[in-house]
Amino acid sequence: MSAPVELRARLAADYQPVRALRSPWTRMLAILPLAVIALIAAPAAFEVRPGAADLGWVGVWGLSIAQSAIGLFAVGAALRESIPGRDWSRGALALWLAIPIAIVLAVTFVSWDASPVILRGDWWLVAGVCFAGSAATALPLVAAASILAARAYPTRPAVAGALLGLGAGLMADAGWRIFCHFSEPSHVLSAHLAAVFMSTIIGTLAGMRMYGLRREKHALDEPVSAGGDHGDRSE
Amino acid sequence: MASDQALRELMREYQSGRFEAFDEIYASIAPALRRYLLSQSRDAAKADDLVQETFLQMHRARHTYDASYPLMPWAMAIARHVWLMDRRTLSRRPWAPDDVTAMALPVKAEAASYADRVEVRRALGKVAPARREAVIQHHLLGFSFKEIAERAGIAETAAKLRSSRGMAQLRALLKGEGDK
Repeated sequence: MSAPVELRARLAADYQPVRALRSPWTRMLAILPLAVIALIAAPAAFEVRPGAADLGWVGVWGLSIAQSAIGLFAVGAALRESIPGRDWSRGALALWLAIPIAIVLAVTFVSWDASPVILRGDWWLVAGVCFAGSAATALPLVAAASILAARAYPTRPAVAGALLGLGAGLMADAGWRIFCHFSEPSHVLSAHLAAVFMSTIIGTLAGMRMYGLRREKHALDEPVSAGGDHGDRSE
Repeated sequence: MASDQALRELMREYQSGRFEAFDEIYASIAPALRRYLLSQSRDAAKADDLVQETFLQMHRARHTYDASYPLMPWAMAIARHVWLMDRRTLSRRPWAPDDVTAMALPVKAEAASYADRVEVRRALGKVAPARREAVIQHHLLGFSFKEIAERAGIAETAAKLRSSRGMAQLRALLKGEGDK
């Protein structure tokens, strides 16, 4: 079987050598500088949480670094998902969702156990600040990770977008929790976890939008039809 | 079909500037892609178009291929994507059983022992879609259950189960038609 002349000519017209993408786990390191900025932005701009002495360095920075690392790996998973044929199975995707949630829960309850700070009054205002701050911090991370994913060829853009949004949300919240004064689980699991979910939704929408743009771009091309000059189909 | 190692090398050459490698890649994998797309679309002309579209998308996505992995899963993932996008773009066509008789699906191994290929094609068209896909990918295209499982996002045992149930359903259908 030989290639149809029309197809061959079309490919030859814009053919040029390309460099293969590096592995997803290498490419995710491009996000690392932004992850570090997201980690230190809130405590640098405002302050470190008042209960830091009770939590110690590991409880404040150590847990946040661990959460941020999981978020970075979720972005790596999104970049792997963006390579055709390397997409995650449903079971693996369930794990990628379950593990970060388990990490957030563990960090929340460890922090609460070591330094219980109850939120009294203005619950909605504080929750709104934490939600908005954390979600806003995630936006640049979502944007950068989306650009990296779009450079590949995600065949399930919504899944890739959700994974990178989840990762970005975790990294952003890892920094925000260092500033947040309150360790009460109801506050953390509503405002902070909601910000992670919001980032996941934004990532999903970004993935779908980027895919839509790709389709629109290529919709301008003439469709390739095998109805014209066929190659020899004998096998 | 060229060996897996040869295909990887050809694709690496295609990435690095030897356009002629495309012809060899096409000759090697187009038949398998066509069989797969034909099994999905059940329309020979549509399958031919989808094969061309798949190669176009492979060309656009050639930078995403990593030569440390086999080429076929990468190419098949793109073919599957092209098929799904085509199905999404076009309104779903009601499937007519007669379409199956027009399939140029090569039948081999166990199925080849049946005298009438038309009957096999017709019966295959009646097998549940997920099972049919597993049967075609394993028995006709030669994918391992592990590869099928990864592609469908299911467990390997589930892929085996789909394939064996698909074959059982196919046998039952053929037996039913043979008894008529």
